[in-house]
Amino acid sequence: MLQRQRARLAYYLVLPAMTLVVVLNLLPLLQGLVISMQSQNLIRPNPTGFVGFRHYVRALTQDVDFWSSAWHSVYFTACAVAGAYVLSLGLALLLNLDIKGRGLFRALFLIPWVVPDVVTALLWKWFYSDQWGFANFALVKLGLVGAAIPWLSDPKMAMPAVIIVQIWKLYPIMTVVLLAALQSVPKELIEAAKIDGAGPFQRFWYVTANFLRPTSMVIVLLACIWTFQSFDIIYLLTGGGPANATQTLPILVYVKAFWASQLGYASAIGVLILLILMVLGFLNLGLERALSRGRDAHV
Amino acid sequence: MSDAILDEPVVETQFNYRRLYAAVATYGVLFFALGVILFPIFWMFSSSFKGQTELFARDMTLLPVVWTWENYYNVWFNTPFPRYFWNSFYIASVTTVITVGFAIYAAYAIARIRFRGRFLIGMILLSTQMFPHVTLVLPLFLIIRNLGLFNTHAALIIANVAFALPFAIWMLRGFFVSIPEELEDAAAIDGAGLMTTLHKIIVPLAGPGIAAIAMFTFIRSWNEFLFALVLLQSQSLRTLPLGLASFQEEYTYRWDLMMAGGSIVSLPVLFFFLLMQRFIVQGLLGGALKG
Repeated sequence: MLQRQRARLAYYLVLPAMTLVVVLNLLPLLQGLVISMQSQNLIRPNPTGFVGFRHYVRALTQDVDFWSSAWHSVYFTACAVAGAYVLSLGLALLLNLDIKGRGLFRALFLIPWVVPDVVTALLWKWFYSDQWGFANFALVKLGLVGAAIPWLSDPKMAMPAVIIVQIWKLYPIMTVVLLAALQSVPKELIEAAKIDGAGPFQRFWYVTANFLRPTSMVIVLLACIWTFQSFDIIYLLTGGGPANATQTLPILVYVKAFWASQLGYASAIGVLILLILMVLGFLNLGLERALSRGRDAHV
Repeated sequence: MSDAILDEPVVETQFNYRRLYAAVATYGVLFFALGVILFPIFWMFSSSFKGQTELFARDMTLLPVVWTWENYYNVWFNTPFPRYFWNSFYIASVTTVITVGFAIYAAYAIARIRFRGRFLIGMILLSTQMFPHVTLVLPLFLIIRNLGLFNTHAALIIANVAFALPFAIWMLRGFFVSIPEELEDAAAIDGAGLMTTLHKIIVPLAGPGIAAIAMFTFIRSWNEFLFALVLLQSQSLRTLPLGLASFQEEYTYRWDLMMAGGSIVSLPVLFFFLLMQRFIVQGLLGGALKG
């Protein structure tokens, strides 16, 4: 078939799907930008009055809630991603050893990832429950704590508690990706390092780590993006409470939009979340480029 | 046999012991980690078979002392749970059919045909994956409301397709790329057109990949919460995640119902996942992350 004919066919094949993608993703995004500059309010008239950047100014300079939520988001994301990365790296290194049943282990370790968010939240809520939860029962039984810990209703404990759940949700996919990267390390290189007298830690640091770095960057960035915008688990576990202790930016968007009816203001916060994620994305791109340049110089 | 042992140098034997210890330690750590990590899920299943008195007893047992189906019976016959179940099943099925149907053609064109704008399309597909759902849900809510679709299943299907489609196209592209091009050349020589080749050769070959993506789309829609929360209002329209979440207010402290309900929601997902996990993992690694 002629190249030009093939190309024309390609447009017919791509057009329906891409129309849907653009209409359903890019259009809402643009609409979101527009709304964020309007006085959109679900209970007031004149929803489309133009207000310029007033919502953004309000969020960044006047709203205490915004900055405390932003801090919670950063804290939640940093702790959850760091925790999940350490856990998944450990598991991936173990699974990369010459063991039988690797596939089965990998599948079983992936299970938390497929459990629906709502079920995840409910089963952890049950697990954390003050009076009937297993966590408190076991801790008291073992004598580790004197009295039951009110995990989700104590402002001090709520954040660590939701971070644990997020780690639980996040580590599986990171493990799979890191394991795949580990398996791409050429065996000969490890053997060569062994012959040169490198111990296990040196072998890891000077050989394996070099192969892990680019993959780690990508997966850590993706994990940050997923976690920073995650809504379900915190909303269902604590609803942002107690006393706003776990109110992250996505929760704030929902609260402002549907409890306070301030759709325009909520939209502005939504756009700010997108901007933060974009900065993260570009940061990673730059880092990756610098890293690959450094590696080339090395070789 | 005994000769072989005699022939082995002493050092080797010691080395084997070390390997044995290492293996025991590795499995020990792995099983321990698995036990700790999966315990909350086990606890949900175990709790779902306990009677009310046992569930709220002072002393807890890992497994129910008396096994009972009572909780499952109650959640299925005494709450609107079956309604939620069918709503979810219907929405996920329609979403999957639409998504896969559109994705196959687009993915094939992107994987196999060189045309202007191919790179741009790839960029759009990947960048949509980065859009935070909380940013998109507000404008989508307004758009849906203006279209008069608020509080309908159609609204939720539209939203689910919107977010499943880019991912499905990108993953399918990965599967198509991995099919040897010679097969198509052979078909072309035999006089088959591009569409015939796609339907008769590529789709059957990519069958497992397509099945994995269909499964993945289904599961995502089955699990989806935020859009259901924003776009639906009537109780009779609720999906499983939304319905189960509302149990927290409507049946406060009825952990028996929530644990049985949670088990029912998770089981199909777990079953299909364990069935398809090899393909899902392959697709994720090949299609989505490496690009």
